[in-house]
Amino acid sequence: MWEFIARSLEASTIFTLAALGELLGQRSGILNVGIEGIMLFGATFGFIAAQNSDSYAVGFLVAIAIGALLGSLHGFFSITLGVDQVVSGMGIWILGFGLTTFIGNPYTGPLGMDRIPTVFGVSPFFILSVILVAVMWFVLSKTSLGLRIRSVGENPSVAEVSGINVARTRYMCVVVGGMLMGFAGAVYSLDYNPVWNYNFLMGWGFIALALVFFSLWNPWILLGGSLLFGFLWQLSLNPQLFLPGVFSRYIWRTVPFVITLLVLMVMSTKWFRAKWGSAKPEALGEPYVKG
Amino acid sequence: MTKELLAGRERGATILELRGITKRFPGVVANDQIDFEMRAGEIHAILGENGAGKTTLMKILYGIMQPDEGDIYVRGQRVKFHSPLNAIELGIGMVHQNRKLVNAHTVTENIILGHPNAGRVLNLRRAEQEIDELCRRYGFKIDLRAAVWQLSEGEKQVVEILKALYRGAKILILDEPTSALAPPETKKLLSSVEAMADDELAIIPFITHKLPIVLSTSHRVTVLRGGRVIARFDTSSATEQSLAREMVGREVLFRVERPAVETGKPVLQVDNLSALSSRGFMAVKNVTFTVREGEIFGIAGVSGNGQHELAEVLAGLRKPEAGKVTLDGAEITDAPPLARWQAGLGYIPSERNAVGSIGEFSLVENVAMNYYFDDKYARNGLVDYANIRKLTEEMIVDYDVATPNADVKAKNLSGGNLQKVILARVLTRGPRLVIANLPTQGLDVGATEFVQNKLIEAKKNKAAVLLISEDLDEILAISDWIAPMYEGEFMGILPADEANRERVGALMAGLKSEREAQ
Repeated sequence: MWEFIARSLEASTIFTLAALGELLGQRSGILNVGIEGIMLFGATFGFIAAQNSDSYAVGFLVAIAIGALLGSLHGFFSITLGVDQVVSGMGIWILGFGLTTFIGNPYTGPLGMDRIPTVFGVSPFFILSVILVAVMWFVLSKTSLGLRIRSVGENPSVAEVSGINVARTRYMCVVVGGMLMGFAGAVYSLDYNPVWNYNFLMGWGFIALALVFFSLWNPWILLGGSLLFGFLWQLSLNPQLFLPGVFSRYIWRTVPFVITLLVLMVMSTKWFRAKWGSAKPEALGEPYVKG
Repeated sequence: MTKELLAGRERGATILELRGITKRFPGVVANDQIDFEMRAGEIHAILGENGAGKTTLMKILYGIMQPDEGDIYVRGQRVKFHSPLNAIELGIGMVHQNRKLVNAHTVTENIILGHPNAGRVLNLRRAEQEIDELCRRYGFKIDLRAAVWQLSEGEKQVVEILKALYRGAKILILDEPTSALAPPETKKLLSSVEAMADDELAIIPFITHKLPIVLSTSHRVTVLRGGRVIARFDTSSATEQSLAREMVGREVLFRVERPAVETGKPVLQVDNLSALSSRGFMAVKNVTFTVREGEIFGIAGVSGNGQHELAEVLAGLRKPEAGKVTLDGAEITDAPPLARWQAGLGYIPSERNAVGSIGEFSLVENVAMNYYFDDKYARNGLVDYANIRKLTEEMIVDYDVATPNADVKAKNLSGGNLQKVILARVLTRGPRLVIANLPTQGLDVGATEFVQNKLIEAKKNKAAVLLISEDLDEILAISDWIAPMYEGEFMGILPADEANRERVGALMAGLKSEREAQ
């Protein structure tokens, strides 16, 4: 039982990190649906780098760097060129799926390094992810930088006349967001399940994407949601543990999406909007053209 | 402090000067050798119709646009603005007509956004104290912790003013400052503006209509026409007539004839109608009224008091929560829009670009949108474009629409000309009921007069006209019945001869008697 909980926390760590990266980008107005692709890249290149250098540190650094690179690629398309953000993100996903399958194929198999030690029985990355949630919340809601990020995501033309560089702010958010996604991928391939196989993620990134909508763009709700989703995901791997015979794992995997859809339905009700306004950043997904 | 005292008071040093500002766009000189000067403590209005060059001048003043020729001096120093930031740094603040605020953020967050001294970690409490101090000094009242989307238009304007002041503005540009305000709100704003002028701020209101505001508040007024400075007055020597004459270039009658037409049977009957807004609050509350043949029923109110929702319910675009609507005795409460058009309802929506027309469509196609369901213009699923083109061309002549031909895209027409097309499209059908929602908003004096006369013509032709307007003077000028609307309710229904500015103004601000408005 304890092992199941520890595994759930590890799973939720990956959701938290990736979704936190997505949340940062979305608060600045950039939707990145390529999250799964960036995670695949981070996981694969982190895995290869760690195996070749026999160093976890190198593996994680490479994963973060490739995340930053892909984040800036998405930024280039969606901020500089102003193309449709969904199309750009989809491109990154397909690219990640194809390229990592091609490059990673010779590395199929276990990592073959000592496991990363746990702290009080849980992964150190879980603790790190909680700290990052707190940092993200503090930065977004209590700092000047956070106010700038939020205003860019709500109404970029207002931000511009208030003296904020919209493009730079958005770039910063998608690049840091990409780093978190790449890192999340490496946590999967180096810690959670250190075995390389083609397309091993199978939807983790999309769950993280749904999680951001579930969270109403609030880091603390995001943390709660990722604990819930981590538990459900782990359950989907071993449904017989609690509910033997009820659905297959493939059905269980849709549960986070069903929950997210329910949350989105509540959000779109008149009652919710009258009480809370629209939680969604107003300019989310819209390219900003100056002038 | 009264106007006479202010005008007589010695003004401060020259704080802003423009010399020979010229800005050209392909085919048009938007600003032609404009000279302008402001002193500290002065309220200097800039008056002009649409297209007179006000917007361009405003953008140049705030650094959004750069002039082709000419110089700007601030406190005697020649300056160049590359962006609004340069202007802000030199103490120029701008209050935009289409508010530049983040809806999801609080008032305080909006005010401190982008402020260089905001600090890395926000000190909201300190900021609130400083903003409170500004509010006290100039007599603003606002909840600093409310989200902007919860505020009224007037309150949003206050936030914009506070934002500029918080940034240290000494020169304040106000773009159409009173266009969205009810008379009592206008009064409050003007007293705050005067307090700011007393505090040595220089204030430049840009105004299209609302000449009385200019006369009652400003010290000097500069009139623009065709991109040039046509006249400059000390306000004490100006009159409404003289300002309008300079602005339009001809005598303007401030009277639209209101012919008495014999009223006939009821056309529109609304009984205890209620409806929700898109945000989910009750926007229209138990509204009951009747509009008869040959009369104009005017609904007066500040934006956001339910007029818009009421118009949408009557046009079949929004579902009512309760109540009954009949047109010529037949119930249409739940009828779809098309059935209403066929029953003789003509609808002129408030947003002529977004709802009234499709910008990418030609005028012919836009006219077809209102005729495709007529046997005369469409048969067996085929639209008879030749016939509709003929109709459109007739409309262009009859309504004096300035356009090269009927195939021009709607987005290329000026606001006034587009409104004429929309008006023609509705009125040419000979409707029983015309619902005109803000039909003259943003139009200049000439086009406004034209639209108002057409509505009166419709009434003469025995149509019932429901006019919704935020311009109280317009309502008073052409309506036979006046219903001030406040927070979804009619505060009364007054016959035209019992209505006056003070009474209706107080009612539309939610006050039960005029005394409360003082």
